[in-house]
Amino acid sequence: MRSVLWGAALILSAGAAAVLLRRWARLADRLYATLLLTGGALGLVPAIETLGGNPASTASFSGSLPGGPWAFALDPLAAWFLLAICLAGPAAGVFGTAYLAAERGHRNVALAHALFAALLAALIGVVTSQSMIAFLASWEVMALSAYLLVVFESEQLEARRAGLIYVVLTHVSTLALIGMFAAMSTTTEGRTFADFAAGSQVASTPRTLAFGLALLGFGLKAGAVPLHFWLPGAHAAAPSHVSAVLSGVMLKVGIYGLLRIIGLLGPAPLWFGWTLFGLGVVSGVLGVLWALGQHDLKRLLAYHSVENIGIILLGMGVGVLGVSYHHPVVAVLGFAGAVLHSLNHALFKSLLFLGAGAVVRATGTRVIDRLGGLGRRMPLTALAFGIGSVAIVGLPPLNGFVSEWLVFGGLFSAAGAPEALRFVIVGAAALALIGGLALTCFSKLDGVLFLGQARGPVPSGLEVREPGAGMVVPMLGLAAACIAIGVLPMLVLDPARRVAESVMQVTASPPDGWADAAPRIASVALGVILAIAALSWLRSRLRYARKAALDETWACGGLRLSPRMQYSASSFAAPLLAAFGALAGVPQAREATAFHSHPMDLVQDRAVLPTWRGLEGLSQRLRHWQGGRIRWYLLSVVATLLVLLYYLMQWKGAV
Amino acid sequence: MTLGPLLALIVVLAVAPALPGIATRTRAFLTGRRGAPVLQLYADLAKLIRKNVVYSRTTTPVFRLGPIITVASVLVAATLLPLDGHTALLSFSGDLVAFAGLLGLGRFALVLAGLDTGSSFEGMGASREVTVSTFAEPALFLGLTVPLLATGEFSLAGMLGERLAGVWTTAAPSLSLAAGSLFMLTLAETSRVPVDDPATHLELTMIHEVIVLDHSGPELALILFGNAVKLALFGGLVISLLVPRGEFPGWLAVLVLVGGLGLVAVGVGVVEASMARLRMNRVPQFLVAASALATFGVILLLR
Repeated sequence: MRSVLWGAALILSAGAAAVLLRRWARLADRLYATLLLTGGALGLVPAIETLGGNPASTASFSGSLPGGPWAFALDPLAAWFLLAICLAGPAAGVFGTAYLAAERGHRNVALAHALFAALLAALIGVVTSQSMIAFLASWEVMALSAYLLVVFESEQLEARRAGLIYVVLTHVSTLALIGMFAAMSTTTEGRTFADFAAGSQVASTPRTLAFGLALLGFGLKAGAVPLHFWLPGAHAAAPSHVSAVLSGVMLKVGIYGLLRIIGLLGPAPLWFGWTLFGLGVVSGVLGVLWALGQHDLKRLLAYHSVENIGIILLGMGVGVLGVSYHHPVVAVLGFAGAVLHSLNHALFKSLLFLGAGAVVRATGTRVIDRLGGLGRRMPLTALAFGIGSVAIVGLPPLNGFVSEWLVFGGLFSAAGAPEALRFVIVGAAALALIGGLALTCFSKLDGVLFLGQARGPVPSGLEVREPGAGMVVPMLGLAAACIAIGVLPMLVLDPARRVAESVMQVTASPPDGWADAAPRIASVALGVILAIAALSWLRSRLRYARKAALDETWACGGLRLSPRMQYSASSFAAPLLAAFGALAGVPQAREATAFHSHPMDLVQDRAVLPTWRGLEGLSQRLRHWQGGRIRWYLLSVVATLLVLLYYLMQWKGAV
Repeated sequence: MTLGPLLALIVVLAVAPALPGIATRTRAFLTGRRGAPVLQLYADLAKLIRKNVVYSRTTTPVFRLGPIITVASVLVAATLLPLDGHTALLSFSGDLVAFAGLLGLGRFALVLAGLDTGSSFEGMGASREVTVSTFAEPALFLGLTVPLLATGEFSLAGMLGERLAGVWTTAAPSLSLAAGSLFMLTLAETSRVPVDDPATHLELTMIHEVIVLDHSGPELALILFGNAVKLALFGGLVISLLVPRGEFPGWLAVLVLVGGLGLVAVGVGVVEASMARLRMNRVPQFLVAASALATFGVILLLR
């Protein structure tokens, strides 16, 4: 545990180095990257050891700290999320040095690096802290440093608006968590997590309250529908390497919190499990459906995070229900699927956001429909982005498949149960639909961004070319991690099971078919790769077909195709969005020569903002009371006093 | 591991190219024409393999890899099915997720290969293909949930293998509904009427055909072969559900499968001769109907 804290300290010092040495930009960047990587490695090693079966290690700081001793611990659950932070965080940080280098002239890049380092260190603090104040302090540092990074491009109105919505909602989340801790504190004196666990009483009101507030606070952080609407704007507005950490890692802190509460308070109530499950289905389907309608590359990826959080919540819901209905196999598959998908999403979503960053740097735009044919100019970026796409869609032979397989496993094995648990099979259909929609969405994205021909000119001063090693290497590293988990799932399946068991506080060994599947999944993955290699070799041996003729794309024998005639992202998604109608939230306008679609966020634009305006209108009516006339104020004071007096006389018997 | 499943796989791969021929021939017969020979696809494949290729200048290696990935993933998917009625080459709990995932990988590769040409036609086909398959996905999972629930087995080889014969007496209604649903899926996944029309000659009305408009020579051969194998795999699922072959000796099970595949191909031809293609915006409804059919099967088993 000490080594993890040293790692966090090194990451913080990386931030300090970036600020102090900002005059010497190259040196600062080198030192910053080195310290981030070293700090990440210091966290990674003990995390892997703990997941490998080492006992949990702790560290505690007493003294004059507020809220009793600040305890930190590295148990399997913390180690798992630490893994995600220490893999994706430093990779994004290194990418950030190259990504922000272009903005050195007109923005405070050193400060952005320092805030990024603070964000990473706070994330480490959140997942390892074991007492209330340490947790809330880390939580707040995380939330605020993320806010400052979201408004980094503060001259953009869009960034300021997204930042405002984010900072309000993240504090709603903090408030809910303070309430949650308060509810848990009613039954115990101490303020460490161990005290909360010991004080937890089955079926008590504070416990129910704690679960409810955890759902609100952590659900907001994770971005579950309908609490997601702060997310797409904030993740799109932040610099791309920050988006990678916000989407890939910071959302997972919400997931971590929910798992931690489930572990602390013991078997969660039934309504909690069904709510998680329902949130999972709704977030998964709507998240990917709304992603499909987006025109902004980063907003699209952000909505996909909502989808993936949905898949994770689906698995977690199955896990909670499995425990409630006493089906440990169902529970272990559900929880293991949820935690593994959290790690996988951290890897492939960071990769995709970094890829998006590379595209934005090269072309100066996030509008998908202005791009095209980037694959020829940026082959490595396209390759990495393609790998991330296959992973996020959940296709073999990559990592997304392994975790979705686990979640499906939980759903299928629940279907045979005699109780109401069997109805979770609905989730299998939903998950299948999610998979289909995700495939559509990434066909659109990859096809329009990297294939075909450019749809418009690049702004002057920019040249579309492969970014330097500082940006390409982190992307390829994350891609390699996606491949490694997909081809060698045995690396992660056992640790994921251990984490699931630590959450359930039961040891359950899945039956043979599930336990020994890892080598067979590996064979499927290797089989695909070998079959592709073999067919490519055979193809290269064909005598006549070796010499290929080059010509124009077939255009039905007549006209020449122009880039403007290509299918665009909007037209590609149109039939599917039309099939879902109003649920897709993409009003379309057709003219004789053009087709427009305008995606909106149904929750924000149809529910939150109208409610807000309604409240604003109501409070406008109260305004004339506050017109500066003294006699109204006096009358109000007297009326209030009278009401209070009446209350005291009537109900309290005091005169 | 015995040789049985491997031999069964080889037999299925060998007969697969005959299936589209049977379907087309049936359609021709029922509409009063003679039609192409049943074995036409073998001749086409042999011809295409020996031909030179033309690539568009717009394309990248994605265009060339697409057909290869498609066939590779379909081949690996085939190893998950118990083609000899007993075991599969590869089998594990939840392998139906891998089956669906592999078919998805193949589709993803092919769709990207189409988009690589930058042609509006291929874009249109790709868009339609993914729209259709999005709605097909839940139907596939629900359809396979039926044998899973009926047998309590979690692997394809288990749920379509020996246990199935035992439960057929009680779960027959559900299994038939699932088979019906999977037959509708077969039509959608292998681009047949009423979802797509392989005989259409107008690019604007095509789905699958228009994605591969620019592919030629060996690449086109791979795509045609892959599609034929896909028809065999989906047909195999339908047959496995309708005729539990777990109690047959291996050779008889393979024989039944091959005969059954022929009948499925005839069924495809009958559908093609008896109805027109659906309008594009009606296709989702057709697939939702397939999902509904499978859902009824699942509900009957959940009780």
